[in-house]
Amino acid sequence: MIALSEIVQKLNLEVVGSAENLDRRVVAGYASDLLSCAMNRAKKDYVWVTLQSHANVVAVASLLDLAAVIITEGNRPDDETIARAESEGVCLLLTPKTTFSVVGELAALGVRGEAQQP
Amino acid sequence: MKLRDIIRVVEGKVLTEGVNLDMEISCAAGADLMSDVLAFAKPNALLLTGLVNPQVVRTAEMADIAAIVFVRGKMPGPETIALAKEKGIPLIAAPYTMFEMCGRLYEAGMASCDLDTKQE
Amino acid sequence: MSQVPQITRIQELIYELPIERVMTKNVITVSPDTTMSELKEILRINRISGTPVVEGGRLVGIISIEDLIKALEKGDIHAPVRERMSTRIITVQANESVVEAVKKFAQYKVGRLPVVNEHGDLVGILTGGDITRGLLEAIGLDYHAEEISRYRARHIFEDIVSDQTGLILRYHIKPRDFTGGGSASSKIKRALDRLGAPPLIQRRVAIAAYEAEMNLIIHTDNGGELIAEIQPEVIRIVATDNGPGIADIEQAMQPGFSTAPNWIRELGFGAGMGLANIKKCSDSMKLESQVGVGTRLEIVIRIQPVMSSGNATRPSEGQEKQETS
Repeated sequence: MIALSEIVQKLNLEVVGSAENLDRRVVAGYASDLLSCAMNRAKKDYVWVTLQSHANVVAVASLLDLAAVIITEGNRPDDETIARAESEGVCLLLTPKTTFSVVGELAALGVRGEAQQP
Repeated sequence: MKLRDIIRVVEGKVLTEGVNLDMEISCAAGADLMSDVLAFAKPNALLLTGLVNPQVVRTAEMADIAAIVFVRGKMPGPETIALAKEKGIPLIAAPYTMFEMCGRLYEAGMASCDLDTKQE
Repeated sequence: MSQVPQITRIQELIYELPIERVMTKNVITVSPDTTMSELKEILRINRISGTPVVEGGRLVGIISIEDLIKALEKGDIHAPVRERMSTRIITVQANESVVEAVKKFAQYKVGRLPVVNEHGDLVGILTGGDITRGLLEAIGLDYHAEEISRYRARHIFEDIVSDQTGLILRYHIKPRDFTGGGSASSKIKRALDRLGAPPLIQRRVAIAAYEAEMNLIIHTDNGGELIAEIQPEVIRIVATDNGPGIADIEQAMQPGFSTAPNWIRELGFGAGMGLANIKKCSDSMKLESQVGVGTRLEIVIRIQPVMSSGNATRPSEGQEKQETS
């Protein structure tokens, strides 16, 4: 299992929100822009990749105890959302890259999605 | 990458008959927000999405997206399939999560529809 | 790109076209008692290279120019056809598709196939040339119909002269019609294709119109109207509705700001990116609104002359954009 700090470094991510848990281990990844899907599928210690940057993202991450949320395509949460992430211990990582690229790079680092059988 | 190879990598099933499997796909993107798709999509792109409503096909039509892959075994309804057939846009159902499929395709050499090419 | 549908169309036609559509119907036949010498004249006069042999209405063999040459070589020119014909008769059914004939030509290496009906009566004859001609005609018909309507559409602005000619497409958009959403934009895109607009312009107009159409579906009380005004050099899209109106336009324009309900967000819309998208696709846009009265969105996209590509560059992002305040 890879440490969050290594992901931050290898993918050159900008850390906003809470930076206290960068030594946390990431168990798997989940990608979706739909909050309800993330609520259903992402689990504790997952990294969630999305382009959504509004305050509800922080709420979902906090509720599920995600390792971090990677916000793609240069989307930037507003100050209020960042403040909320800080107070709730949610790590937000920002990148100009697309979801597809970020997930590809994560997969290359050994982070896998949970494979679902049909 | 050819559509045929993509289907193999994601272990997908084609939902619309008469698909040209040798069609060349220029790049891929995973997204569930249609406005985002409209913003980044390049002609001949592949869209990976968790949405199965008819608007996904409409969005693909407007943005000249070549094919759509539905993640996690989600099956579109007859309306979505009918519209896709009418517009000649192949639909593919695949069993894995968007995360898993982006990872697999990336490792297979699929390019990302990057942002610097928006509206080119 | 344009080659792909054509190939598909030929493939389709091979399966779709029945043999009776492409076969030669007036079959010239000979009897088994016809001499090879008489056959030579029949082939020469009719400019054919072979014919079925019929006895008492029944197909008994097939004779070709190759059989005639062999007979000539052997000095057997006065022999009856019966002695020189091939009795291995491979036929096809008139109602089968052309693909069946293609398979038999490849399998048996014959030059012609007699065509029979369901009772086994000879009704026609088929050669490779007949198939080629039939396919070309069928494609030609498709192609011509399409070309003619395209040609007419493309020249509409040249045919109809005025100081300012425009084509107006008007669509009524129903509120909450999520399933049908986008059909107006789809028709606008198709119209532009017919009119010969460059693909990039089609795409920009389609995206902007689609976002505007979805806004009418998602946000209005009673739906609204989507109008595309197409002129030779400019396309104007106007979306109007009678409420509820936008309270703070500046806020509405900000990427990420949205008042869309959750059900719309879960369908992949209402993430607050629509107006930003429209702005990016347009050369100028104007948004006016009054709460309780309605909203009017006007989008302008200029068609750059294709021929003089030297100065046909688009204004870069942000330039020539009309902002609303």
